[in-house]
Amino acid sequence: MSTKNDILSNIRSHSGKTYAMPVIEPDAIRYTDTAARFMEVLKSVGGSAIELQEGEDINARIMSLYPEARSIASNLPEIRIATINPDEIATPHLLNGTALAVVRGEIGVAENGCVWIPQNVKEKAVCFIAEYLLILLDKNNIVSNMHEAYAKIGFNDYGFGVFISGPSKTADIEQALVIGAHGAKGVVVFLTA
Amino acid sequence: MSTQHAKAAERFIRNKAQEEWHNETLRLVREKRDRQALLLPCWEQLRQLASQIKMHTITHLDKYIEQFANQAEANGAIVHWAKDAREHNDIIYAILGEHQVKKLVKSKSMLTEECHLNPYLISRGIEVVESDLGERILQLMDKPPSHIVMPAIHIKRQEVGKLFEEKLHTEKGNSDPGYLTHAARLHLRNEFLTAGAALTGANFGVAATGDVVVCTNEGNADMGTSFAKLHIVSMGIEKVTPHYQALSVFVRLLARSATGQPATTYTSHYRKPRKGCQMHIVLVDNGRSDILGDADHIQTLKCIRCAACMNTCPVYRRSGGYAYTYFIPGPIGINLGMLKSPGEYYDNVSACSLCYSCNNVCPAKIDLADQIYKWRQQLYSLGKADRTKKLLSGGLRYIFTRPALYGAALRLAPIINKTPRFLIYNNLNAWGKGRELPAFAKESFTRMQEKGKIT
Repeated sequence: MSTKNDILSNIRSHSGKTYAMPVIEPDAIRYTDTAARFMEVLKSVGGSAIELQEGEDINARIMSLYPEARSIASNLPEIRIATINPDEIATPHLLNGTALAVVRGEIGVAENGCVWIPQNVKEKAVCFIAEYLLILLDKNNIVSNMHEAYAKIGFNDYGFGVFISGPSKTADIEQALVIGAHGAKGVVVFLTA
Repeated sequence: MSTQHAKAAERFIRNKAQEEWHNETLRLVREKRDRQALLLPCWEQLRQLASQIKMHTITHLDKYIEQFANQAEANGAIVHWAKDAREHNDIIYAILGEHQVKKLVKSKSMLTEECHLNPYLISRGIEVVESDLGERILQLMDKPPSHIVMPAIHIKRQEVGKLFEEKLHTEKGNSDPGYLTHAARLHLRNEFLTAGAALTGANFGVAATGDVVVCTNEGNADMGTSFAKLHIVSMGIEKVTPHYQALSVFVRLLARSATGQPATTYTSHYRKPRKGCQMHIVLVDNGRSDILGDADHIQTLKCIRCAACMNTCPVYRRSGGYAYTYFIPGPIGINLGMLKSPGEYYDNVSACSLCYSCNNVCPAKIDLADQIYKWRQQLYSLGKADRTKKLLSGGLRYIFTRPALYGAALRLAPIINKTPRFLIYNNLNAWGKGRELPAFAKESFTRMQEKGKIT
């Protein structure tokens, strides 16, 4: 407690001229077709987006995309082909070896291909440990830029949320881009109507 | 009299091919940044806003940092305050001790580098594992980072191949980045799953919500914090930002400025500890509150550690991070080093051509070059001015303030054009190293005008 007070009083004793908070209203870019821009940018960062047709069978589509996937983690009721429910495991370690994770995203961002995923499963590890990540996103929830996104994002009681823009990557060896550092090696976003 | 920076740079440029590669590669990162900036018509507006928000925040830092701490505690995090590096390290060691943690997995944090946390913990028996690929490579090599965003930018793939052969038992002679990255993925996955605690830095702390925001491309911060029951955040007090509206400005600028990406792959918001787990946030001052009282250098506290100033700096690109004596290199590092200890880090202020490129790319519009210029003005009073240069500028001052003498000197100057090379290009003339003097004109401009040659 005393360290806290020392630091705060040192801040105060060194304070001089103060500055006002500006009005934060930049002329931020707006896209007429946010979904089209989102798909384009996501592709440029190594991911991809697929528009599902109305009434299309999600499970069949997943199976055709990932025919090799034996272990599929998801707590979404519509994902009937899931083999692990991340809400029902004793420790997140049991998700190691997961081939595919399916999660729901809430907001897409056209300018940078980000999808906001508030933690909605018991173990957030599911978003990071699977070899491939599939995100379901309502096409009508794609905003143009981060200002709009931050005005809309929400949290569940888990108290964690993440913007994910494409697959995990690194260029730490000679600036050569490699996809699949620690997280998903591939990210696909299913856009639903 | 060469500075430590000049001597180290001389060693760096001895390997011409490596120097060229380093220069070109970082130049490309700068160009990627430019392309992203040009895509946003409001780019300059964002920089201006970032600068203004930061000035507002740091000049109301007591209010915002306390608000952040209160919010974080209300969310269930445990907040600690550390006056200096020693307190920061002691606090973390105590937390680890309390939970009997033997292994700590870390994601990138320049603050822990600043506090020398790793050697402190290792000497007390804690196993410390860096999980950012570049940081892990350097840790296995027992070397420090040479860049704050691309820490291993100075290491060649063959060196990594050899290192991994020895440490991770990869194939002999295979230095393919994809192969080596995959080997590191498998190796570090095991570390994530077995560590007792995960430490992350903080790119931002949001005062209104108590969120700690961490940006990575690899996903290593998220992997660490998804398994260990203990999450420790090491955060400098200047990283606080008032609210999401302000945060949105910085998030738009950070990755674009750093690597020329529209966003980092992961922008993670840690608000509450995981169920049944603990989240500790260590708020570190370590000299930051003193900088608030230094009007000439207060702007260094606006830094969001994107490294754009390094990538654009012609001196950094051609001398490498190790040429600087402070652990953060480039324009921002020159200034932060001087703020830490001028007597120790004055060598770096010469590593600047005052081209001002850094000022023009900084997303928070820090007056980096102006500050370096100011430090140089203080070198003499610090007793660290170069004596040869001082003597020379004293002599030039004598000539420049005496017009008749100046005129005479100018008339005699063309003699230099015919002087034997060894008299001009020798060890006494540092300016003659690696460059040629231009030829002196036969007549001065004033003389030509007097003779009516100029109309």
